[in-house]
Amino acid sequence: MATLVSHPDEVRIVSKRFGQGATKIDRYLELDGYKAVRKALGMQPDAIINEVKNSGLRGRGGAGFNTGLKWSFVPKQSVKPKYILCNGDESEPGTCKDRLIFEEDPHSVIEGVIIAGLAVGASSGYIYIRGEYRYLLEIMQKAIADAYAKGFLGKNIFGSGRDFEVYWHGGAGAYEVGEESALMESLEGKRGVPRIRPPFPAVVGLWGGPTVINNAETLASVPPIILAGAEWFANLGTPKNGGTRLFCLSGHVNKPGVYELPMGYNLKKMIYEVGGGIPNGRKLKAVVPGGSSCPLLTAEEIDLPMDFDTLMKAGSMLGSGGVVMVDDSTCMVKFALRIMKFYQHESCGWCIPCREGTDWLDKTLTRFHSGGGIRKDIDNIQYLSENMLGRTFCPLGDAAALPTISIVKKFRKEFEDHLEGRPCPFEKKGTVEQLPVFA
Amino acid sequence: MADAPKLVNITVDGKPVAAPAGTLLIEACKTVGIEVPSFCYYPNLSLQGACRMCLVRVEKMPKLQTACTTGITEGMVVVTDSDEIRQARKSMVEMLLGNHPLDCPVCDAGGECELQDMTFSYGAAESKFIELKQHRDEQQWSPVVYFDRPRCILCYRCVRVCGEGMDVWALGVDNRGAVSTIVPNKQDHLECEECGMCIDICPVGALTSGAYRYKTRPWEMKHVGTTCTHCADGCKTTLGVRRSDTGMEIVRGDNRDKSGINGDFLCIKGRYAFDFANNEDRLTQPLIRKGGRLVPATWEEAFEFVGRRFKEVLDREGGRAIGVIGSTRTTNEENYLLQKFARVALGTNNIDHHRTADFPAFAAALHGKSGATASMRDVYNASAILLIGNDPTEEHPLLAWQIRNNVRLHNARLYVVNSRPIKLRRQAASFTQVTSETDFTEFLGGDESLASFATREGWNAVRDKLRAEQGLVIIFGSEIFGEDIQALARFAASVPGAKLLCLGDYANSRGAADMGLYPDLLPGYFPVSGAGKFHQEWKITPAAPGMNIGQMFEATKTGQLKALYVIGANPVGRLNVNPSTLKNTFVVVQDMFLTETAALADVVLPAANAYEKAGTFTNTCGDIQILKKAGEVTTAKPDFEMIVRIADAIGFDVRKLVPFGHGVHADMGQSRGAQSGEADQHAVWLEANGLEPKMSPFDPVATLDEIQRLVPGYDVSRTELLAGNDQHTSIAAMGPGTVQNPELIVPAKNNLFSSGTLGRYSRTLNSVIENKDPEPADAVPTD
Amino acid sequence: MPILKNIAAIAKGMSITFMEMFQPTTVENYPDGPGPLRGAKFQERYRGVHVLQRDENGLEKCVACFLCAANCPANCIYIEAAENTAENRISGAERYAKVYNIDYNRCIFCGYCVEACPTDAITHGHGFEIATFNATNLIYRKEQLLAARPAHLGANPVFNSAEVAGGAPAEVAPGE
Repeated sequence: MATLVSHPDEVRIVSKRFGQGATKIDRYLELDGYKAVRKALGMQPDAIINEVKNSGLRGRGGAGFNTGLKWSFVPKQSVKPKYILCNGDESEPGTCKDRLIFEEDPHSVIEGVIIAGLAVGASSGYIYIRGEYRYLLEIMQKAIADAYAKGFLGKNIFGSGRDFEVYWHGGAGAYEVGEESALMESLEGKRGVPRIRPPFPAVVGLWGGPTVINNAETLASVPPIILAGAEWFANLGTPKNGGTRLFCLSGHVNKPGVYELPMGYNLKKMIYEVGGGIPNGRKLKAVVPGGSSCPLLTAEEIDLPMDFDTLMKAGSMLGSGGVVMVDDSTCMVKFALRIMKFYQHESCGWCIPCREGTDWLDKTLTRFHSGGGIRKDIDNIQYLSENMLGRTFCPLGDAAALPTISIVKKFRKEFEDHLEGRPCPFEKKGTVEQLPVFA
Repeated sequence: MADAPKLVNITVDGKPVAAPAGTLLIEACKTVGIEVPSFCYYPNLSLQGACRMCLVRVEKMPKLQTACTTGITEGMVVVTDSDEIRQARKSMVEMLLGNHPLDCPVCDAGGECELQDMTFSYGAAESKFIELKQHRDEQQWSPVVYFDRPRCILCYRCVRVCGEGMDVWALGVDNRGAVSTIVPNKQDHLECEECGMCIDICPVGALTSGAYRYKTRPWEMKHVGTTCTHCADGCKTTLGVRRSDTGMEIVRGDNRDKSGINGDFLCIKGRYAFDFANNEDRLTQPLIRKGGRLVPATWEEAFEFVGRRFKEVLDREGGRAIGVIGSTRTTNEENYLLQKFARVALGTNNIDHHRTADFPAFAAALHGKSGATASMRDVYNASAILLIGNDPTEEHPLLAWQIRNNVRLHNARLYVVNSRPIKLRRQAASFTQVTSETDFTEFLGGDESLASFATREGWNAVRDKLRAEQGLVIIFGSEIFGEDIQALARFAASVPGAKLLCLGDYANSRGAADMGLYPDLLPGYFPVSGAGKFHQEWKITPAAPGMNIGQMFEATKTGQLKALYVIGANPVGRLNVNPSTLKNTFVVVQDMFLTETAALADVVLPAANAYEKAGTFTNTCGDIQILKKAGEVTTAKPDFEMIVRIADAIGFDVRKLVPFGHGVHADMGQSRGAQSGEADQHAVWLEANGLEPKMSPFDPVATLDEIQRLVPGYDVSRTELLAGNDQHTSIAAMGPGTVQNPELIVPAKNNLFSSGTLGRYSRTLNSVIENKDPEPADAVPTD
Repeated sequence: MPILKNIAAIAKGMSITFMEMFQPTTVENYPDGPGPLRGAKFQERYRGVHVLQRDENGLEKCVACFLCAANCPANCIYIEAAENTAENRISGAERYAKVYNIDYNRCIFCGYCVEACPTDAITHGHGFEIATFNATNLIYRKEQLLAARPAHLGANPVFNSAEVAGGAPAEVAPGE
């Protein structure tokens, strides 16, 4: 069980019930639970979509697409059934927010799924939880069972005459399945590889039906918007970046944890005030602002507000809110290698650049970090990453390429320090197996 | 036919392109000669977008787009070649070559490898990859399929063609990322139809053929496109031949240019079962029985001996004491020549062949009804198909492919009526299991009494749906014959646009029937009695019907039949003829192997097979196609030549048999032509058709001239025929046929891995049969 | 003085002649010279009769890829390929040349085959005395072209260890 952290700057909306035993349905009801869905039952579907659209709520999974807009793409009439899909396959290194939501407040996700269902006219929803979160599945199973028992799910929910079914599904441990179309393939029982788009899931999705697929945090943000209104939510953040966001601070930071902060919160403040600064009096070297897929920011670049657009301009991404601090005791080559090992392991193998590129980069970086590097390797690492970028079937290739490119560009000197058979300057002698220089 | 779809205008590399809405960009580019490279894209298979080779720049799109997954939209502006695009493609090739073993010198695909071609077009000369390559040992998945994982570029073509095209789904993908691998359905081996489509479609040398691997290199072979000699579907197969000690050896069969009626398709037999030709049991010299044993003889001895013995019988008892049995695997020319030899040189109608379908009844049913027969291409394009009886998956693999892919790609409706739960029911819109196919046929024909109370409602529903179809193709197997074909034709006449297709079993079963290997029918299903073109041309044609196969063997028993001339048939082995009946008969057999019949013969003449001679075949649909000589075995002769030599040895004027040398007499035709007032009709026809006179009695094209001149329906374009294209012959214009004695029809009962006598001598087919799991795939629970 | 000039010119010319008289001779005394080559000397790059090389394990380098035959402008190379098996391993790759003939009636010693060879299996040797009274002798078979198996290979397990351990000499190709 996670130990919860807090900070005075936090604005608790999604995390409002954290630590208050809201996994029990009665406790959840005491804390304004299932009020939003009752209100939504009285609203027109278009009104719900507009409310969400106007709130400026943007997808919390990483791409940051306006949620209300996404819902509005679902056709009103459809021969095939429509589905709501909650993407709880949270696998991005550095990100651990959905886990807390499932653990502390599972009903808020269920409520969000029902509201989304009401908005687009779907009558069933799936909550897909990452395979490694096996223990969260039990919490979610119980929450769903409780909701059924109360008549919040199933036939005639809340006595409204509407039906809504929610199913849970556990993944099998694949990062790739966090990609929405791969998640649908996985849910259908197939190999978790992404689908060709168009058609987009909003038109042809799960089992061929129109499907809304949202991140768990996004869906958990919906009930407060319905209750308190779009304007209230939008005003919490910066323009076009409505509301708050769960930031997961980790790495070399004194007080790591998940903090709910308004969108546009200053990154420097986040590190030094909320996170309590860098431990052991060390200096900050780099920050990963939104999960391992994002290009890194150097210590000089961190004085900026954390919202989708500003970070885009700064050459990085807000991503899934996983803020990882890296201090000056870290070897950036090893950092790049560790990230690449992850992507090499998680590449689904569907398309050439990602399958072959990550494997090649992993091999080269491993050799390089072990002292077997040659000068040409540095350019080759950059060449390969740049040729993966934007050419892969799904964003996984980009996710592997972006941080690597930024590391080679911003920390080229550290790469050069590894050359000519020199051992890694950051490692204790003898901890890295020395490979001979490849002539 | 639906209205022509709307055209969409786009610009590719500055060229305006108009293509129907819904066309993929990669296909639209092809129409103006712009090739967009790709590995994973394959026409008519599902889209993958996996190889990223087809990246192009589409205006207003932030990233490069894959041309294979992008549909065209009005006003689209596309660039397919720029530095950026070339760099993208180059980097794809570089990454692919990272883990690809550069063993091109030993790889079977070397020289015809798409990765090689792409590397030449887009790749880099310098290799940046200096890491260790992944290696995995080669695996043998079946007697004919080998898999070399390191060479695989994971384009998933094999997985798709096996699943979507063949409906076998024997291949899948295992693991993920760089260690992804194609795997067979049984862990370490394949349980499938062994069609080899995966090998053919593999762009590199990852999947290799057990029959061909490491034998030679593609450029060392000559490639000859000919027609398959196994089942009656008439696939075009390209045979790779190379020099050998005894002529030309066939080393590979494949589907190189995909130009035949079979398109992408070839089954195991067309692809691998050419190897009967190289079997060591093949006869290499003529054999004559001396003192109870067959001993080798020279060709001259053998021909002289046969001619003398035939002549003796002719002189003593006349032609009715000689029987002739033809083949379903010899060419149209040979079949025509054989029946002409029987009727004109021997003066007998005792001629028959192994019948596998009731074509005379089919001809009778469709006499005068033009456009009522379906070609193999029609099966692929029909909007609906009714399949009564037969199991095409086993017996007519191409037909099954056409049906399956018509259903998959054109949403055709398939109605299956069968007494067995055949595999094609998986594609069927309706499957009606019946106890007897004939009952249902008669029900369709109007006899409702046979539909029992329980089935009447279902049968009615199927019939109503069939009646509502436009462009229905009705396919029926050998279960339907005689009067029932008549009934089916009556039903077809009530459905607008309906066409019929009668399924025979051997490569030239239809040709043998069309060429008149019947005791009562001349070529083109004209009756032997009566007066017609053939009587005028040939002058001496016995008017009374001769003996059929059954009667012939009865007659040998009674001593009525003194001589039997068997060509490419094995009645003793295949039709359960009692060998002892042949004791007192002079039997001459022309065959490749010492079959059960040949072993009893007095003279055995080693014959060339269909891959070793030129001619034409007519498939079961009536599509005529050319055979080109591919292999050569100097120790065998084509049946055509042997028939002519025997006719000569009897003392018959071969000019009356084969119309060679017509129109080139030194007297310029005066002896028959101008002065006698009688034109040389053949020479006139040749001239009218712009054809040269044939100079050799062994030239089958001379006989083809006569067939085209005399057999109605065979007057197809010679140019198209020689170009290797299939053409549909018309049965409507042919003679009235007959409704025959149905017990003479003996289905071949071949399955995917057997092919009559040829199959018995094919090492590949035998090794596949031996390696099959003893229990059928259906019995194993699927996991 | 024209006469003196002429004398000087003759003297200059003859001096070169006399100087050369005392230099060592540059004529090769082939075929009456010493050694196995009987006085013949070669540049390293001399393109003589081909040699099919072996790898460090004594296996044939040729994998029967047919590239030399495809590249040959005189069309003088004939190959038949066959597959290696565990019991009968001839080359290092999957395939080997069962038959490898070079027709020296036709060969023009252009060296294209050597350039084409992806495994460095075929090279030019220094063999040159191939004249014969019978043209059929000019078709050299693989056995005539193969390099000798190096003697050290007796210890190599993939090679003829058993034979060599039994006292047999390492095999030497004919002509050596």
